[in-house]
Amino acid sequence: MEPDKSALAEADLVRKSQKGDMASFEELVARYRDKIYARAYSMMRNEEEALDLSQDAWVKGWQRLAQFQGDSSFITWMTRIVINLCLDQLRKHKRQRSESIEAMEEEGGVERQMPVVNPNPTAGLERVELRERIDRALAQLSLQHRTVLVLHEFEELEYKEIAKRMKCSIGTVMSRLFYARRRMATLLASLRRENSE
Amino acid sequence: MKHDLELKVQAWLDGELPEREARRMGEWVARDAEASALAAELGCIRQAMFRNETAGALGEGREFYWSKIERQIQREAGPGRTDDLPWYARLRQYMAPLAGAAALACVLLMAVWQGAPTFDEISSTGEGMEAVTFHDQSAQMTVVWLQDSSAGAEDQSAKKTIRYEDEPGTVIDLE
Repeated sequence: MEPDKSALAEADLVRKSQKGDMASFEELVARYRDKIYARAYSMMRNEEEALDLSQDAWVKGWQRLAQFQGDSSFITWMTRIVINLCLDQLRKHKRQRSESIEAMEEEGGVERQMPVVNPNPTAGLERVELRERIDRALAQLSLQHRTVLVLHEFEELEYKEIAKRMKCSIGTVMSRLFYARRRMATLLASLRRENSE
Repeated sequence: MKHDLELKVQAWLDGELPEREARRMGEWVARDAEASALAAELGCIRQAMFRNETAGALGEGREFYWSKIERQIQREAGPGRTDDLPWYARLRQYMAPLAGAAALACVLLMAVWQGAPTFDEISSTGEGMEAVTFHDQSAQMTVVWLQDSSAGAEDQSAKKTIRYEDEPGTVIDLE
């Protein structure tokens, strides 16, 4: 009978997986699949694409297990893999888009130049409600702005690291992040107005 | 406010400025109402998003989700590890090709030991025609049977036998 792996510590499961034990790897997948899927979904906003990319990430993870040295936690390492896959996919999407739309989004639209009307657009919101609104607002951002926001706010990456991953300059990262935040502020404020009406 | 300054306010907020510049920027933001309002808005979004990601929920069950990953790993051959297989399974992986090679070596040794085979027989079938070739090396003779197996040929005397010596092109007999 297959021994129960659910009681094993992450480090043990990783070590066994590195030796080729697929049952241990399956346990790691079961533990972190939601997190990996959530990261892919945050970036792609498409359930099917997120599902495929999260599964591809696990396959890549298995193939590169020997490279995992334990410098970071296993889930951080896996998250980096799924982010890279999402970024590759977003680059494919970008190639399919017209240059004019891309340039317009890069400019930052009207939000960038708007004065600050409400410095606290999330005031008085409960956590569940806030999460839901953030999710809805994120869905309305462009791929580039959503990506930079996810990498900075959720993954807590520095500008330099985001620029490296997105293959752009630090200036572009700063500009995209600025626009994304201002747009989020506008969207969250408008969602609050919608709900109060 | 100039866009460069807006970005600097943001960088200050994110802790991306060098210490000295960050101190100067902090002082300026505290004095300037516009910069202060912008910093408050950006900070609010930053704070709101921090650890407030919607938890993703997969629609697929554990087994189904894993089965697709497992299939892909096997298809792409993975890291090629066999450590998880039991010892007898690993041994069998090596023994099967070894046994085949040993059997072939035995046949070749027997052939060398007993001398080359004295005859070969080759049969080939085409549409409407069947051919059997018999070659006897010791008799230096090759016999070819040709049979017309097409429809309507059954009643006719369609069998032909050609026998010739191993001199190329020397036909000895024809029926």
